[in-house]
Amino acid sequence: MFDEKDLILEAKHVTRRFPAAKGKVLTANNDVNLKFYKGKTLGLVGESGCGKSTFMRFLVSLDKPSEGEILYKGEDITKLKGEKLRQHRQNIQMVFQDPAQSFNPKMKIRDVICEPLLNFKRIKPSEKDKVARELLEMVELPGELADRYMHNMSGGQRQRVAIARALALEPEMIVMDEATSALDVSVQKTIIELITKLQREKNITIGFICHDLGLIQSFAHQVAVMYLGNIVEVMPGEDIGENCKHPYSKALLASVFDIKMDFTKKIESIDSEIPSPLDVPPGCPFCDRCDQCMEICKQERPILKEIGPGHEVACHLYAGKEA
Amino acid sequence: MAMLEVNNITISYQNRPTVTDFSMTLEKGQICSLVGESGSGKTTVIRAIFGLLAGGGKVTEGDIIFEGESLLEYSKEKWRKLRGSDISMIFQDSGAMMNPTRRVGDAYTEYIRTHEKNIAKGDARTKAIDMLERMRLPSGDNVMRSYPFQLSGGMRQRVGIAMGMTYQPKLLLADEPTSALDVTTQAQIVRQMMELRENYGTAIIVVTHNLGVAAYMSDHIIVMRNGKIEDQGDRDYMLYHSENEYTHKLLDAVPSIGGTRYV
Ligand SMILES: Nc1ncnc2c1ncn2[C@@H]1O[C@H](COP(=O)(O)OP(=O)(O)O)[C@@H](O)[C@H]1O
Ligand code: SF4
Ligand SMILES: [Mg+2]
Repeated sequence: MFDEKDLILEAKHVTRRFPAAKGKVLTANNDVNLKFYKGKTLGLVGESGCGKSTFMRFLVSLDKPSEGEILYKGEDITKLKGEKLRQHRQNIQMVFQDPAQSFNPKMKIRDVICEPLLNFKRIKPSEKDKVARELLEMVELPGELADRYMHNMSGGQRQRVAIARALALEPEMIVMDEATSALDVSVQKTIIELITKLQREKNITIGFICHDLGLIQSFAHQVAVMYLGNIVEVMPGEDIGENCKHPYSKALLASVFDIKMDFTKKIESIDSEIPSPLDVPPGCPFCDRCDQCMEICKQERPILKEIGPGHEVACHLYAGKEA
Repeated sequence: MAMLEVNNITISYQNRPTVTDFSMTLEKGQICSLVGESGSGKTTVIRAIFGLLAGGGKVTEGDIIFEGESLLEYSKEKWRKLRGSDISMIFQDSGAMMNPTRRVGDAYTEYIRTHEKNIAKGDARTKAIDMLERMRLPSGDNVMRSYPFQLSGGMRQRVGIAMGMTYQPKLLLADEPTSALDVTTQAQIVRQMMELRENYGTAIIVVTHNLGVAAYMSDHIIVMRNGKIEDQGDRDYMLYHSENEYTHKLLDAVPSIGGTRYV
């Protein structure tokens, strides 16, 4: 499916625990194993609070796992410190949901975009004008916008500026956290078209957090489904509609309102609430909401098994060969 | 006569017309969606119907008739009686509307006692718990004892809907009630709103940017653009027969399972 020589980042047995009230422990990520490949997009889906952002923060070194490794080109970046860590940050950049809130409102667009380049002494202050223009044009915005401020721009323009800034350092990889969720669908569409075009031109690896299954299947090469901190399924992007296997992935899919859906059928939804990450069941994390739960599910946690090319499922219903 | 008639209204903020020449009618038990891009005037329209325009907004032309009477001519006193009993509103994040320092139960009981002056505290509490459980909140008693931040977004939203439905309003106005929610919770809430129509004949106007939700739940869909009605019709017309270019543009942009792939 994907060529192992194109493996650029690998998360191995990543677990993150947070201390909680009354001496309890909250497990936000539990033994996560994922691979990111050169020039490809991995979409991470799941309900709010399931641990998606916790995981992506490790990739951009904003947090460290309690256990496990994040191997970037073979080197464990969770061990990097000081100047080495600072230099490494150029390789993986992040785009947030609301760029207006992540940048100083007093900065002009020119400075927002050029700040990382100046920090790493990649350009001289005298080059700012020219570079900002080029980067704005790369994201299909007029160069004149360099003189404006974030708050004078529309949501879609701001997101383009954030992308220009993230790509300024020519990173190998970018991580986008719900980067288009706040936009109108027509604007969202143009941003996705831009991202996929830039990915083709620059061969960038993308990690994309999203809760919209329709959106993620439109441009992700791989999709990973997370539930209560566990990856329950990883599959090729085009498989999510027709070929997803895990009962949780299917339940997510069944609750999507889609303009192409069958309107004569009642929408399905899981009626119960997600259990708190403080009370993850000992066996399968989904067992108390799964309508196919068996005796073994309550006792033994299923691990990811390969059931097809690039397709892994953690569920006792699928006893394929060991991954 | 229809239950609600909005006749050629213009709504202005600081004398600047923002919504112009907007009309719609709604019968008992009908569901209508307002869709369109942000800033197109959807929220402005339903807030005008609810008599709660922010930022000095005013209906400057036309009329809004509810059960034969002009809502624009209602006194403050009359609105106080109507809101929550005949017409209710649900907001995008009901949690944000709740006082964070008060338990849900205290807020809800007080809400009931402003509508029913003579109800005993204990009875108000029982009524609240009953409504919460009807909204399929697992333990009404537990929810009553919680502070808003202790509940998930979906639970808070169901509390908001429960409060809005306490007096089985004839008209429910909902502004992006599911936009901040996960797909699974969104499906639950949409189902519950549709059950209100089935069980109580509630008429609903829902603002949503999710065309799938609009298509699934509505009898009638209104597309707004720059403060005007751009297109309208039932689901079948909207999805398959409209020749309006803007409607097509909106539909094309909706990411769909099994739809366009860019890679
Ligand atoms: N409080 C306010 N004061 C002034 N203008 C407002 C106010 N609220 C909304 N507007 C303006 O009204 C227009 C429609 O806004 P809104 O009704 O919120 O649209 P939508 O709900 O479709 O996003 C926008 O141009 C917006 O800037
Ligand atoms: S392992 Fe069992 S409980 Fe878990 S998803 Fe599969 S069938 Fe359901
Ligand atoms: Mg709005």
